[in-house]
Amino acid sequence: MIWHEYQLGDTVSKTTEDTRLWESEKGIVEISKDALAIPIELDDEEKGYLFHGQGKLLLDTIVETEEGAIGKPVERELNKPFLMLADTEKTQQSLTKASEGDLTKMGYENKQEFMEEAHDLFNRFFKNGSTHSRHHVSKHRGFIFAFQNQTNKLDFLVANGPKIVYTAKDLVFVSNKNKVVLKSPDEVVCSDKGRSVIISKGKSVIIKK
Amino acid sequence: MKIELSEELKEEMKRLKEELASMKEELSEVAETKRKKGHGIYIDLGNRVRDYVEDVMEGVAEGIHGELEKSIFIGPRGVRIFKERERRRVEKEPKVNFPEVAEVMSALGQEYRLRILGELMTGGKYMSDLQEKLPEITTSTLSSHLDVLQEAGLAVQEKVRGRYLITMPGRAAYKMARRITKFLERGKKE
Repeated sequence: MIWHEYQLGDTVSKTTEDTRLWESEKGIVEISKDALAIPIELDDEEKGYLFHGQGKLLLDTIVETEEGAIGKPVERELNKPFLMLADTEKTQQSLTKASEGDLTKMGYENKQEFMEEAHDLFNRFFKNGSTHSRHHVSKHRGFIFAFQNQTNKLDFLVANGPKIVYTAKDLVFVSNKNKVVLKSPDEVVCSDKGRSVIISKGKSVIIKK
Repeated sequence: MKIELSEELKEEMKRLKEELASMKEELSEVAETKRKKGHGIYIDLGNRVRDYVEDVMEGVAEGIHGELEKSIFIGPRGVRIFKERERRRVEKEPKVNFPEVAEVMSALGQEYRLRILGELMTGGKYMSDLQEKLPEITTSTLSSHLDVLQEAGLAVQEKVRGRYLITMPGRAAYKMARRITKFLERGKKE
């Protein structure tokens, strides 16, 4: 399966309660009650959602080394539309059909206006993004999130069990249990069970075991 | 018994004696010339040898001392040998950033905050762990101390699990506290 076979559904729903979309030891993605949601479908099967509401992303992009902890946690308010590809069974249970009033609450004059914005994000993720256009994703068992950042570019979070990849404007964080790689504007850190390589801006390389 | 030497033999012995004296004189001249030219033939065994050896040893000692200063760094973790380039790097001390350092020092200037850092040196801790270790202060006091440490960049809190971790500057600050303790202890002994 390739990306272009995915379709954006045409029904707008809303969340009936605060919902935790993804959770692990290192991160959480939540969406609050009354957020708008449009299904992302593949062969008439729901494969994810495009949300717009008050959401939150927490991610502990911190590396523990023998020299001390490096990095700061990410805490982001998700108030722009964002996209999720994942198992939707749990999310479906906390969704109900949205009314015109629900759309108005989120600042849209009508359904059409929301759909246009949703299609814009959907197209940027599935069709215009050269990085992803040829990738197979239908068999993924994890989570893929695409968040719009301050500059309207996309930040990505891919998670599958303990494996996490987060790429943002000036941060890359890759984690798999005790193995962590962090690239921030100040340093690059690779760590594996206490052994770490730290390359700090303008400083020397510290290798610790 | 008296041996009568012939006049002829006497003459011969006299000639040989003169020849020997002449050879000695020649040898003496050659030796003097060589000594002056420094070719090392003339050797004065005696005080000169001792002085020479002392001079050489003194030079070697000075060389070793200079080399030690250049290439060996003795720190709290033991002895490290640096190449010339590395030595220069060690000597290149950064300028003190007074406002930032003052903020860190201010955060350190409280007994319980130092104790908290000490607890975090052994690994990440939850609030409940720290409460257990420091039962004499209230939860709100502990929480405010942790806020100060975080603002100064000495500790960081995980958002998901909530553990507090010591940062690289935090470790450096705590090591400094240890060194100060060492100096204070030494001062008391003296």
